[in-house]
Amino acid sequence: MSFYDTWSAVFIALIAGVILVGTALIGARLLGPFAREQGKSISYECGMLPTGKNWTQVHVRYYLFAIMFLIFDVETIFIFPWAVRFLDLPSHAFWYMVFFVLILSGALFYAWRKKVLEWR
Amino acid sequence: MNPFELISPQLAILIGAGLILVYDAIFPKDNRYLPWMALAAIAVSVSFAISLAVRGEYHVGFEGTYSVDKFSVFFSVVFAGIGAAVVFASMNWVDRVGRRKSEYYALLLTATAGLMFLAGARDLITIFIALELSSIPQYILAGWGKDERSGESGLKYLLLGSIASALLLFGMALLYGLSGSTFVPEIATFIGENASDNRSLLILASTLIIAGFGFKMALVPFQMWVPDVYEGAPTPVAAFLSVGSKAAAFAVVLRIFFEGLNAEILSNDWAMIFAVLAAISMTVGNIFALVQSNIKRMLGYSSVAQAGNFAIGLAAIAVVGQEFTLAASAVLFFVVAYAFTNLAVFIAVIAISRHLESDDINAYEGLAKSAPLLALALGIALISLTGIPPSAGFWAKLYIFNAAAQADLAWLVIVAVLNSVLAAFYYLRIVRLMFRNVEDQIGSAPFAIPKSIGFVLGITVLGVLVFGFFPTPIISVAREAAAIFSIG
Repeated sequence: MSFYDTWSAVFIALIAGVILVGTALIGARLLGPFAREQGKSISYECGMLPTGKNWTQVHVRYYLFAIMFLIFDVETIFIFPWAVRFLDLPSHAFWYMVFFVLILSGALFYAWRKKVLEWR
Repeated sequence: MNPFELISPQLAILIGAGLILVYDAIFPKDNRYLPWMALAAIAVSVSFAISLAVRGEYHVGFEGTYSVDKFSVFFSVVFAGIGAAVVFASMNWVDRVGRRKSEYYALLLTATAGLMFLAGARDLITIFIALELSSIPQYILAGWGKDERSGESGLKYLLLGSIASALLLFGMALLYGLSGSTFVPEIATFIGENASDNRSLLILASTLIIAGFGFKMALVPFQMWVPDVYEGAPTPVAAFLSVGSKAAAFAVVLRIFFEGLNAEILSNDWAMIFAVLAAISMTVGNIFALVQSNIKRMLGYSSVAQAGNFAIGLAAIAVVGQEFTLAASAVLFFVVAYAFTNLAVFIAVIAISRHLESDDINAYEGLAKSAPLLALALGIALISLTGIPPSAGFWAKLYIFNAAAQADLAWLVIVAVLNSVLAAFYYLRIVRLMFRNVEDQIGSAPFAIPKSIGFVLGITVLGVLVFGFFPTPIISVAREAAAIFSIG
């Protein structure tokens, strides 16, 4: 099969997608009425008026929590497919996962002892 | 064979790094034993690597992506040795910094394990992950010092290193796109069959990969970071960068280019790239080193020039074609000689700077009077860097020039010899300064060298001298390790 035979489906999908979205956007632009007002640019068009600036600073200390999150994130990514296929896996797969979780809990233990979990 | 046995040297080091962190978390007050734990992990790792070699357990594991062969065992032992030397050299400095000791050793061990993975990786993705495993700790370590300059050097290394990684990935993506495989032997099969159809793209891919690794090797168009990072980074870390990281890049390039891209139609082109980069690196490195007044900056440029010497070997291998084991073994021998020599120089500089509290070359004047042994050690190491017999550096240069001459690269040998003369000028200038007789020098107070630094300095200088007088054992080991490429 040549290059075009293999990838023609992808190209057709690509072109069809561009046409579809383009038609919708251009059609709405041509047909719909437009009214530009100040009130339209605020966060909520009805309800409470937002106060303060929309640029909020996040405390630098949160980066530690982001890193801590990674431990649990990685744990989930690997445990989830493992759990789905658990019954078909050989028996030592269980111990592999125990070992893996132990390594990750080592990281959690380290973070706890280094007082990452406390807000200082 | 159990695949975990194949990576047991790396696992020993990584487990050691984990244990150091956990030990410090449990006993935060008791941190005297941390460097010794790191050294124990390295010792266990070396014994695993040697036991693999002695039992002849040369296998390929993890779906072919990691290979234990003589080449990877050779480099694993070299990297473990470099890691141990840097642990010894850092002990005193880490104690003086006095914070986050466990993290320092854990990161150093992780970087060492990454380098060891690089030596055996045979798949582009494994190579990339191993490269990042060694690079990311090095970025952190470069910024470990308390002063601003160290932070600057860490940030510079991180930013430029990321760009180099991106270039490398572009090259790898092109190779994958062409051959449909990330596995180096399969890329070799593809190139053997279809190289002529895709020659221009393959050359582009090789160029991008050379650019990515050229950053780590400190070859010239990619050398901008070297002097700044070496100057700002803590000196033990600079020693690790200049020896470990560079040697690993050469190991991977040997593997990718000789196992993967070694088709005749292609190899002459990338050999020419290496030859030109070697000539430029030597010349630019040496000329800039001449005018430096800071010893660490000078060593940075000297490291660029030495990278040019390494690259001569890479250029020679391809041109010879079937007989390239001569040049490959020359590169391996150069790695060992350079590791001993450059570590000796850096460790001597650590000891001297610690006393003088300055990296200024002029402060070295009359050093032989206040610290004769230290001056002698630095002198021997600098003579070896110049390539004067009887030192390991002399044989390394002779070996690699010989390989280039056999490969009809006479012009490159002439450039290299002229550069050696240029290099002799700034290396020997320090020797002359140290042994100059001055009446009242500033640093005349008696030198106190920490035991750990004295010990490792002694070992490295001894290595320089022993391999200078008896180079044959290392040469035969290097030949055997390089022989794995002759079959393919």
